[in-house]
Amino acid sequence: MYRIQVQEFEGPLDLLLFFIRRDELDIFDIPIAQIADEYLTYVRLMEDIDLDGVADFIYMAALLINVKVRMLLPRPELDEDGEPIDPRRELVERLLEYIRYKEAAEGLDVIHKHRANLFTRGEASSQEEQFFHETPETLVNTTLFDLISALRRVLTEVPETPVLTLAPVEYTVEEQRAYVLEQLDRLGQVAFVVLAGHWHKGFIISTFLAILEMAQRGVVWLTSTETADDFYVQRTPAQDKPRATNGAVAR
Amino acid sequence: MAYPDLQDPSIPDTDDRAEELARAVEALVFATDKPVTSDQIAEVFAEITREARPSPEQIQHGVDRLNAQYEQQRGALRIQAWAGGYRMATTEEVTPYLKAFFRHDRQRRLTRSLMETLAILAYKQPATKPEIDYVRGVDSDYALRRLLDIGLIDVVGRSDSVGRPLLYGTTSHFLEAFGLSDLVGLPNLREIEELLNDPAFNIERARLLMLKGLDTPPPSDAHEGPDGEP
Repeated sequence: MYRIQVQEFEGPLDLLLFFIRRDELDIFDIPIAQIADEYLTYVRLMEDIDLDGVADFIYMAALLINVKVRMLLPRPELDEDGEPIDPRRELVERLLEYIRYKEAAEGLDVIHKHRANLFTRGEASSQEEQFFHETPETLVNTTLFDLISALRRVLTEVPETPVLTLAPVEYTVEEQRAYVLEQLDRLGQVAFVVLAGHWHKGFIISTFLAILEMAQRGVVWLTSTETADDFYVQRTPAQDKPRATNGAVAR
Repeated sequence: MAYPDLQDPSIPDTDDRAEELARAVEALVFATDKPVTSDQIAEVFAEITREARPSPEQIQHGVDRLNAQYEQQRGALRIQAWAGGYRMATTEEVTPYLKAFFRHDRQRRLTRSLMETLAILAYKQPATKPEIDYVRGVDSDYALRRLLDIGLIDVVGRSDSVGRPLLYGTTSHFLEAFGLSDLVGLPNLREIEELLNDPAFNIERARLLMLKGLDTPPPSDAHEGPDGEP
């Protein structure tokens, strides 16, 4: 059974920020009903592919629905001064707080990179080295939600009624991993739609999981495409990783 | 760089003693592989020379003196003030040689979730797991365990709130790994008001929201100020 650790990708608040950014929404005036519904759609898809860590997303979806319901109340809730409370307020405050720490994390990343250029004695054998080494670099120049958008698109394009009814074919993640690598070796950089489009649901989901798993182990790179709802897959260039990976953002 | 003149006379100290102290500092910092505090240096120096303990300023002066010498000689080493002590490290100019030598791909980067958790903890410490979970909107159990393993954070006590949850804080190893002398040296955490008042916020927002490159920033008519109705 394959479980992809979604923790290494974006979290539930990031999904909200993803919608806000994509639709260029005003963070202070989030159309909560619409966003809550779409949020649920994404969470259901994530449940479908059985991503680990979906529980946190479900919790956030519940919170959004709670806000949505409170927005529908005929009489708004009032604070001590009798002013109406916007039910979205706590959410917005949380989002802003989160952005603030994301910025801080970027700042820390910068000074960490700077420090990593300076070597001290016993560097090579230090314990720290091993620990940092264990974690493979995930090269994903896109977000998990871009990937899921692509998955959703491909799934909705699944042919509805098959001409012939055949016994269902099972696809395993291992098989799909081999399939994807073979395609990459043949074609170089390939779009997800090309890899998985117009196949059975099982094929699409197994392929998606195989790609995600390989991205997590640093075997493949994922890059977003110009158009939404698709992404490119390519093999990570062999060893001796280029220092200037301008295009690929390392996470 | 701002190393004081070698002949800086402002330190009330004989030149001989200052030179001897600098020599001791150099030896100790060279020989240890974790930061040496000025306290430790002072103690050893007093013990051996049977003179008064040098002050932290005098030791800092010794360090500056050494760094100035290294710089003059275009040396490959500098003494850095990290984690409340002194540590000898190579300079940025020679990094390529070292990277080539230790080639086995030093991926010393922390994953996104670890960096996020660490950032929250660094600025909020001491903090409990529920506090961190709340900011991130996810269960930080795994991230905290990893950071504990790496030794960047540690349990620093228990909170008085319900259930007396553990309090976490960053370690001195964190300071060293990030090249910080102390927590005051952390980059500033921007206040939310500051974030919102920043005219670049809209552009920055686009960048920060999904950590993507600058694509078209949303029109700036969205919100007039932080006190606008939410």
